[in-house]
Amino acid sequence: MNCEEFGAMGLDAERDATLSEAQRAAAREHACRCSRCAALQDSWQAARVELRAFAEDTAMAEAPARVEMRLRQEFRTQHVTLKARRVAVVAAWALAAAAALVGAVGWRNWRHSQQEETTAHLNSLPATNNSPKNSSVAGANHETPAEVPNGVQQPGSTQTASSETLIADSEFSGFMFLPGAFASDTDDAAILRVRMQRGALGALGLPVNEERASEWIQVDLLIGDDGLPQAVRLPQ
Amino acid sequence: MSIADQEKDDVLLRRAAKGDEEAFVLLYRRHQAAMYRFALRMTGNTWAAEEIVQDVFMTLMRDPKKYDPTRGALGAFLYGVARNRVMKHLQRLPREIPLEEKNEDGTGSGVVLQDASTPSSWLEKQERMQQVRAAVLELPAEFREAVMLCELEEMSYEEAAQLAGCPIGTIRSRLHRGRALLMAKLEMFRDVPRRASVAR
Repeated sequence: MNCEEFGAMGLDAERDATLSEAQRAAAREHACRCSRCAALQDSWQAARVELRAFAEDTAMAEAPARVEMRLRQEFRTQHVTLKARRVAVVAAWALAAAAALVGAVGWRNWRHSQQEETTAHLNSLPATNNSPKNSSVAGANHETPAEVPNGVQQPGSTQTASSETLIADSEFSGFMFLPGAFASDTDDAAILRVRMQRGALGALGLPVNEERASEWIQVDLLIGDDGLPQAVRLPQ
Repeated sequence: MSIADQEKDDVLLRRAAKGDEEAFVLLYRRHQAAMYRFALRMTGNTWAAEEIVQDVFMTLMRDPKKYDPTRGALGAFLYGVARNRVMKHLQRLPREIPLEEKNEDGTGSGVVLQDASTPSSWLEKQERMQQVRAAVLELPAEFREAVMLCELEEMSYEEAAQLAGCPIGTIRSRLHRGRALLMAKLEMFRDVPRRASVAR
């Protein structure tokens, strides 16, 4: 080991765990042979003693208590803020969920009430139609179950049903009594819609335009209790 | 630090991250002295050391996830943060370094030696201590760190290299140059003829 190597490694050879035993022995040997390096080692040992004294001087040094207080304060501020933020987020979500729930329940109730209203309305309609006149009219016209009197039609009913409903809707207005018929005979009469040639009206005692006698028209006949037509109506 | 201590640190840190103030304070009390000593010896300034310790623990408090237990002990992590703060502080500072810090009450910060037999010997020791302190503080930061870790904290080269984040060879080299500068400085204070070869 030369002086340069001794300066780099030998001064602290005993403490340096990375050195091998041979290197330590070489450093010791060099210090014995070289007076300059021996003096250097002595100087370092003296400096080391002073460094140790300096280390001991500051060994018990601690951060002042105010640092801990400041950190505690900061910790509280940070975690209270964090906690408050979490609470606010949870509260916001809870409010949103509650609002959504109330909305859903309200909508459901509204829908339910709407349905009930519609059902009640539909249920109330046949009740008004239970009068003898209308039932007889319906009976006379052989209405299907889909048909509803008084102009109300169930969804899915046919066009025919609709036209027959018109008969009931118009009831007895617009009828012209045939010659020899009396209003008293029409108390339980039924209306029958038929398709006939215009010329056939002549057989009922009505005047007929000969030029248009072959035209097919649709007429409503008011059929009396005896089954004979009592009055006639030409729908518009 | 033993494995049990490290585990304890990890547990305390987890508790602190969940808002347990006492756990955080326990962590602080376990590590503050080492951080403060390191900062004080490196900066030579009690106010700076105080600020650095506070910064280190603020970092831990604000972002505890920065510490990865798989990469080492919490003490080493804190030391790394403290080292960064110290280096930043030293870069900002003007070159001159105060020889003596004053306490809040205006008295010196030097330690009173209880075993001093006479006032003159106490004064002599105190003066010598200030010289050593000045010599250490006048070392370049990297050499000072190596001297501080290996000589004052009595760490092994390996530990010092790990904490400083450099190879063992670098630590040895810094230590060698730091020692040379330190001896030259101390001998100058002692008014002993310098050994030119040492300072080289």
